[in-house]
Amino acid sequence: MTDLLAVEGMKVHFFTQSGVAPAVDGIDFAIRPRETLGLVGESGSGKTMASLAVLRLVPPPARIVGGSLHFQGRDLLALDDASMRGLRGKSIAMIFQNPAFSLNPILTIGDQLIEILRWHQHISRATARDRAAELLRLVGIADPLHRLRQFPHELSGGMKQRVCIARALLCNPALVLADEPTTNLDVTIQAQILDLLEELRERLHMAMLLVSHDMGLVARMAHRITVVYAGRTCETADTRSIFHAPLHPYTRALLDSAPRVDHDYEHETRPALRTIGGRIPNLAAPPSGCRFHPRCPEAAPECARLRPEPMQVAPGHIVSCLKRGSPGVADMGAPA
Amino acid sequence: MLGVILIAIVVVTAAIGPWIAPYTPNDQSAMLSFTARGAPSWAHLFGTDRNGYDVLTRVIYGAPTALAVGLGAMLVAALIGILVGGIAGYLGGVADELLMRLTDFFLVIPVFVMILAVVRLFGIVVVGTWLERVPFLNLTTIVLLLGLFGWPPIARLSRAEFLRLKGMDFVEAARCIGAQPRDILFRHILPNALPSLAVVIALGIGGAILSESMISFLGFGDPKAVSWGQLLYFNYQVLKVSPWAVLAPGGAIFLTVLGFNLLADGLSDAFNPRLKQ
Amino acid sequence: MGIFRYLVRRLLFSVVLILGVSAIIFFLLNAIGNPVDVMMADNPGITDEALAAVKAYYHLDASQGHRYLIWLGNVARLNFGTSITTNQPVGGMLLTWGAETLKLQIPAIILALLLSIGFASIAAMRQYSRLDFGVMTSALLGHSLPGFLLGVLLILIFAYWLGIFPSYGAYSTRNPLLGSTVIDGLWHMVLPLTMLTIFNTATLTLLLRANLVDVLRQDFIMAARASGLPERRVVFHHALRNAIIPVLTYLGILFGLMLATAPVTESVFTWPGAGALYLAAIQALDYPVIMGETLVVTVMLVGFTLLTDLAYVLIDPRIRLD
Repeated sequence: MTDLLAVEGMKVHFFTQSGVAPAVDGIDFAIRPRETLGLVGESGSGKTMASLAVLRLVPPPARIVGGSLHFQGRDLLALDDASMRGLRGKSIAMIFQNPAFSLNPILTIGDQLIEILRWHQHISRATARDRAAELLRLVGIADPLHRLRQFPHELSGGMKQRVCIARALLCNPALVLADEPTTNLDVTIQAQILDLLEELRERLHMAMLLVSHDMGLVARMAHRITVVYAGRTCETADTRSIFHAPLHPYTRALLDSAPRVDHDYEHETRPALRTIGGRIPNLAAPPSGCRFHPRCPEAAPECARLRPEPMQVAPGHIVSCLKRGSPGVADMGAPA
Repeated sequence: MLGVILIAIVVVTAAIGPWIAPYTPNDQSAMLSFTARGAPSWAHLFGTDRNGYDVLTRVIYGAPTALAVGLGAMLVAALIGILVGGIAGYLGGVADELLMRLTDFFLVIPVFVMILAVVRLFGIVVVGTWLERVPFLNLTTIVLLLGLFGWPPIARLSRAEFLRLKGMDFVEAARCIGAQPRDILFRHILPNALPSLAVVIALGIGGAILSESMISFLGFGDPKAVSWGQLLYFNYQVLKVSPWAVLAPGGAIFLTVLGFNLLADGLSDAFNPRLKQ
Repeated sequence: MGIFRYLVRRLLFSVVLILGVSAIIFFLLNAIGNPVDVMMADNPGITDEALAAVKAYYHLDASQGHRYLIWLGNVARLNFGTSITTNQPVGGMLLTWGAETLKLQIPAIILALLLSIGFASIAAMRQYSRLDFGVMTSALLGHSLPGFLLGVLLILIFAYWLGIFPSYGAYSTRNPLLGSTVIDGLWHMVLPLTMLTIFNTATLTLLLRANLVDVLRQDFIMAARASGLPERRVVFHHALRNAIIPVLTYLGILFGLMLATAPVTESVFTWPGAGALYLAAIQALDYPVIMGETLVVTVMLVGFTLLTDLAYVLIDPRIRLD
């Protein structure tokens, strides 16, 4: 099956006065039509930057410095600004982490939704309003015509995120990027929003990139998972393989540190919940070789020298680890 | 950083002024030798003004005046402002409401315009009374008025800070272990409010110096004090003939005010790590 | 609370503020000395009877409180009294001279707002670029260069050295430029207007740019970009509208202080406005003019504070009326 979106060797570097920080330094992932890909990593692993990079919207002082980006067969990095703008919100839409901050506080919900519709589709204001109301109804908001006249601060957190989802779906995008869409919501609402996203993705035939730090959440939603660490991809596989046959030591550590209902910790049929030793590296001066080697229980001397390249170990299962047979490339850490 | 350097220059000049000034501030000998309004030369680096004073000397002797005005006015303003704002923020309720209405009230008093009138009238009334013998009476009046009417911004900020800090966990903790209100106010809240207050106070010092120089420029300054604004006042009429006598004190005012503005900028950057990149 | 009740409440409070400030000014000025005593201080030749007659004429024999009420009653009927120096009604004088002041101040504020929007948007859109650095450095310098010093520099360079613009006054005393009083008036306005505009622009640019940088960092801006809106629309429609809200306060202060800051500007440019009138009144101890103008200055300050608050209510939907 051809990929809807293919990201290869994506590099996003921060150019600051104190030097260059390679926040994203070779992330690969691909999304197929109508599937959900989970992009998992700790905070600071570059997953948000990678998703912004898909829209070519990394904020200065960061810049995309390498890699390739293909969407529906088109090379996005080669597109001119106007064509890229035409894709944003129309073919690729994004849902942000904090609904409280991602709506303009001084414009009504209607103003914000109608503006986007009219910008992409050149339709009348009335048509646009009907379409916006229809979408609000679709995301489960009652009395949408009334809501359109309200300001963001008049809505609850869950309601705001529903509006944000509606905004993302306005133009029937082929791909939705959801960056931690439920992290800032009450636990009781999280499940509702996730169910809504899943239902809409299915109904509207969309693909979704679900960015999260939460393995449990991703397990529930994603068909396939890409695990990233400190700006690089560790492992990609279908959700089942990631959970039942994880290969990369970091994936294993991540799974061991997440509590699971099917494990009986109290009677020690399984080892206790583990933490990952050490901490996420400072990206201004990342470790040489494999970036996980300072925290890796299996690290060998060559892990500090060689950067593992991705290698397919089974159909659809790609891992970057020298100990799993990945080829290595000399890497001396932070670029000068 | 540049702000600190500029302020240091002013402070050092004020401190060692009498030793580095080439003439005494009251030396008008240029009048006698017909070299008043003389252009800058080796004998008079900044030239001489229309009264025969050496401009450089007068500029140097203006530094302590400027600092005294700035610090004096802000000392008065900070004391009142922190007291009013702190009490309002800490107590809340009716006291807060009353004190903040009082602040609103002082905020709309046209201070600058009023100081001009008060200084002028006061100057006439004191003639023949004991007040006349008070040294630098006009200057003291100006400083006191700037302070007495300059506190509302400090009070507003203090209130906001005290309100914010009194709800913080560490203040709650101090209250739980039985700390006295006085201790809570002065040992727990005030030190934490100081960083933001320092920014406003630094701006206020520059502002007070500027106000005094404008008051003096308009001719309502203290005739007995040497101040930059007064130099401007004396020499503005002859700007065309001897611009140096205006530009030198003007430059001194500019650099001093710039120094305090930059200091305030630096302080607010240093205390707001959020804004640092 | 409805907007109407809010308005009435704020208006009442404004009236209380103005009354209070006027009382303070009245008693402060009169506590220092009553006008006749002050004026006669350097005129020992006057007889006691003449003094008493003068005092009676100006109601100076009454108690301070009584006199304040008399004055207030007159002011309420828009009668500010008669100038001691010119024998003209103070109200009319304030209007004539005040108009000359506003002729400079209002265009200066509007021009400054437009210019600063331009500068701040350019600077904030290219944050940390050389252009941003240049704009910010000039703005900080302009903000720290006191207006009257800037005026002195402008006069020195453009009036004395280059001889392009006049150094003083609002009109030529004879031979207006190109024979037209309108052109002549505009020609005289150039330097003072430039000074006020530069000073206001610098401060407004600093404020706006700081707010814009803050707003542009927020998620809803990224969301607008991610929705495919062009940068121009993101900055001007989404960011600027939010960034300008906190600037309203400063704008209100600028308008409110138009007369209060006039003495300095007008003595630099020898401009025949309300500031010059005020300075002359102080020198001549013209109490009715001093009192009248201080009151008008206060009313302007209070009035524009009120207008600012109203503007907030109209522009920012998050503000609750309480």
